[in-house]
Amino acid sequence: MANAADISRRVVLGAMGAAAAGFVAFGPRGGGDDAPKGAVVIDYWEKWTGHEGKAMQQVVDEFNGSQRDVFVRYFVTGNIGQKALIAIAGGTPPDLVGLWNFNVPAYAESGAILRLDELAAREGLRLDQYRRGIQEVMTTGRGADRKWYGVVNTAGTLAMYYNKKLFAEAGLDPARPPRTIEELESAHAALTKRNESGSVVQSGFLHGEPGWWSWIWGYHFGASIFDEVTERATIDLPQHAAAYRWLQRTVRGFGGTDTEAAKALELFRQGFGNYNTPQNAFLAGKVAMEIQGPWLANMVEEFAPGLNYGVAPMPCAADIYDVANPVALVDTDVLCIPRGAKHPEAAMKFIAFTQRQDITERLALAHCKICPLVKVSDGFFKAHKNRGLAVHNALADSARAFVVPKTRAWPEIKDDFDATVQRMWRLEVEADTALKGVQSRAQGYIDRVVEQRTRRYGGT
Amino acid sequence: MKKWEFKPGVAVLSVAMLAIALAFVMPLLWMISTSVKPEKQAASQAIRLLPDPASSTLPQAAENYTAVWHDSTVQFPLYLRNTLIVAMLSVAGMTLSSAVVAYGLSRIRWKGRGAMFAITLATMMIPFPVLMVPLFAIFKQLGWNGTLAPLWVPAWFGGAFNIFMLRQFFMGIPKELDEAARIDGMGHWGIFWRIIVPLSKPALAVVALFHFVYVWNDFIGPLIYLHHRDTYTLALGLQLYQSQAGQTPWNLLMAASTLVVLPLVLLFIVTQGSFVRGISAEGLKG
Amino acid sequence: MVFVLLPMGLSLYFSLTDYSLLESPVWVGAGNYRRLMDDPRFWLSVRNTLLFAFVFIPAATALSLVLAVALSGRLRVGKLVQACIFIPTLVPMVATAVVFSWLFNGEYGLVNAGLRAIGLEGPSWLTSRAWAVPALVLLSLWSIGQQVVVYIAAVHEVPAELHEAARLDGMSVVGRFFRVTLPMISPVVLFNVIVLTINTLQVFAQPYILFRTKDGQNDAGLFYTMHLYDNAFVYQQMGYASAMAWIQLVVVLILTAAMWWASRRFVHYRAA
Repeated sequence: MANAADISRRVVLGAMGAAAAGFVAFGPRGGGDDAPKGAVVIDYWEKWTGHEGKAMQQVVDEFNGSQRDVFVRYFVTGNIGQKALIAIAGGTPPDLVGLWNFNVPAYAESGAILRLDELAAREGLRLDQYRRGIQEVMTTGRGADRKWYGVVNTAGTLAMYYNKKLFAEAGLDPARPPRTIEELESAHAALTKRNESGSVVQSGFLHGEPGWWSWIWGYHFGASIFDEVTERATIDLPQHAAAYRWLQRTVRGFGGTDTEAAKALELFRQGFGNYNTPQNAFLAGKVAMEIQGPWLANMVEEFAPGLNYGVAPMPCAADIYDVANPVALVDTDVLCIPRGAKHPEAAMKFIAFTQRQDITERLALAHCKICPLVKVSDGFFKAHKNRGLAVHNALADSARAFVVPKTRAWPEIKDDFDATVQRMWRLEVEADTALKGVQSRAQGYIDRVVEQRTRRYGGT
Repeated sequence: MKKWEFKPGVAVLSVAMLAIALAFVMPLLWMISTSVKPEKQAASQAIRLLPDPASSTLPQAAENYTAVWHDSTVQFPLYLRNTLIVAMLSVAGMTLSSAVVAYGLSRIRWKGRGAMFAITLATMMIPFPVLMVPLFAIFKQLGWNGTLAPLWVPAWFGGAFNIFMLRQFFMGIPKELDEAARIDGMGHWGIFWRIIVPLSKPALAVVALFHFVYVWNDFIGPLIYLHHRDTYTLALGLQLYQSQAGQTPWNLLMAASTLVVLPLVLLFIVTQGSFVRGISAEGLKG
Repeated sequence: MVFVLLPMGLSLYFSLTDYSLLESPVWVGAGNYRRLMDDPRFWLSVRNTLLFAFVFIPAATALSLVLAVALSGRLRVGKLVQACIFIPTLVPMVATAVVFSWLFNGEYGLVNAGLRAIGLEGPSWLTSRAWAVPALVLLSLWSIGQQVVVYIAAVHEVPAELHEAARLDGMSVVGRFFRVTLPMISPVVLFNVIVLTINTLQVFAQPYILFRTKDGQNDAGLFYTMHLYDNAFVYQQMGYASAMAWIQLVVVLILTAAMWWASRRFVHYRAA
């Protein structure tokens, strides 16, 4: 028989059910928009949140206000490189997606995104409007085989940021940052400080800060990872070994046995705050030199306005040093049109709008990035927050500017490389041995995609 | 009434069990504790249950939870609604279809019934990864990817575990009831609706409850089949919130986790007996 | 059934093809299986998953049984303790992983704060190679409530006379557990161990959230289903992923059959 507790339980359960039903019936719904009647509505997926997202949203709003034919809906999507691929493969792609440049090769080769050559030409866009390094991230193939797959949205090149105050304290010349790896190592030694008990409290340079580009160090010694022509992985080149021996030397500098050094480094890093906070290792002065993109100036302004920083090309090995052609990774995000997009032409209209000199410059200013176009207005230089803008700009034109290896196997190679560098970083394996392993596995991934391409499409 | 006597063994055991209970609820307590602290105090090495000063608990909680609820990127209200839609459709389908199949496997005699039952049981052993890739391809043909359909339609085809459990339960209902009903002119539908279902309410409730929890928890399904941000479920939304690399402060992340966990804990408190009885019944076979 | 048998057949077919997300499948016979044998990351994921299973399944079963026996008596606090142990099983895996990634945080996490309080320096649980599996085991042990409840119910079913007789024979508490309780509930234990094994070998959401950081994947945290997911939906190797899925299925079937067979000697079925 139902007792009082039983009845009240039923009442509560009923109330919960009713609340749930009510929420379903009257709760919030997505996708509400104020598109003008008759306009083509396109869905645009982007990664930017926070103030970077706001700046992008502004561009979208301005486009929507500028004409009545196309209406863009802006959706922030996390982990966009994976999400978009699943959506495209699943048959529910957006009309436009803001990928990272490193997604492009795999997307392009598997046909997940459309070739833009004709669409772009119709809107009056040309590749030669862009800087050399920028053209590289927008295309695959060379010469007559060059195919256009994406349009740069915001662009950066990686340079070395250094803390001038710490330089002066360590007796280094703040106006003469290191140019070669040797110089960098001696500056690192001078800038590394320990407390009474011998623990590191300030590090000169740290490869793992911010840790997003684990695979680039060999490039600063003159090697690349992948040869596009022969489709061979080139991680077995001695320059890579030299680069990662340097990385491990840095870790061992934390003192003691390998285990102790790795532990000391780990403890030191755990004292860093999250990247986008005032406790960021560089902003807080715990790391004196690090590799970074131009957007760092935005964070300096927000979190550490008094920080006196300098910007210089990331040093490279002495034998390849060339003042006119420094080494730098071009790191950008790219607008692409997915296969199966319902309105590719309309999407292209919006892309063309974002590439207008004033719009792209305004977005670059807000994101604190470089202007991807060859032509740059004077106002852009004056208004830009980053005092090292000229350095970043020049890097995009350098003959040694490099981009992510263009192979469909890149996502696998990168995951493998990242994991291996983590192990080297913790001194669990010697650089030489570890790189041999990556080389053979990477070649395996590449061979597989070559084999699959031959099987699917015949020939090469 | 028995005289109360002090038994040292029982006392020690009770204390040990209470300590273990505390260890089990600690992560949840700490989650809630972090969720009502300001960011600075959340990321500190001191162990404190309430923020400093303690009087700031409520305003700080209000601030944190409002920030999570109204986050512009990760729209928890929207995801709550999506999750509820999937849960309702899915729970209804699972309960109904499992009951129908279990009825067929327990109260109707037909050739191949034994084999069918064995196959049903065997499907319990199939790891989801075997199904996820081909289902993705099938849903693509059906145009269901990116909608909520892949998450609830399969539930209308029953679940092996639930079918098994309901079959055992139905077997326990006296056959004589069927025969009496048949004399009254009832068909299988009539027997099912008027006799079996009313008598099996507790078992059906258990199936519904567990499936509800399953839907609420499912992660890999939404991860693969939901593409548009507006269609996300809570579990996926929480992961999206967490994966905004280095941007989400721990106190807000814990507030979001609390929001996702809370409805289930409430449901447990309200229906406590059913959960525990249900599991005891479900696990007792072999 | 439609959602099981048809996909299974398709999956078997895909596993014999080269199939990306966007291109049609091309027949390769056993090619995917051959390649798997030479894939070091496949073996790494196998190793991690088996290591986790070998630690977690016995630990979970032993702990559940001990708790069940302790709670099956007439403790005043029994119901409360049981509820506390059960609640974590309702917490969504994603939330569990998020909460534990906070608890295991090297610097601010509660676990290391507790260790510090007793004078120990805790490891960086989630990024180190040695502590990844132990961290996942701890997290998973947190959610054993269902088994505890099942075992409590099973223990209650054991006839009191058997216990009484054993006590009169002078058997200790431990002796009675192994000679009376365990044999009597062995069918329930077997069933639950099998279910636990199937689920453990598929672990995905928790390591996916715990061990993927901005620095990349922690090698020690790469589990079978994660590698499978990566191949299917990130590397666009659906055929390869399907081959992995079928290997998983076969292993599960073999393990289940093996446990069933091996247990015939130990499991005690009461005459119905």
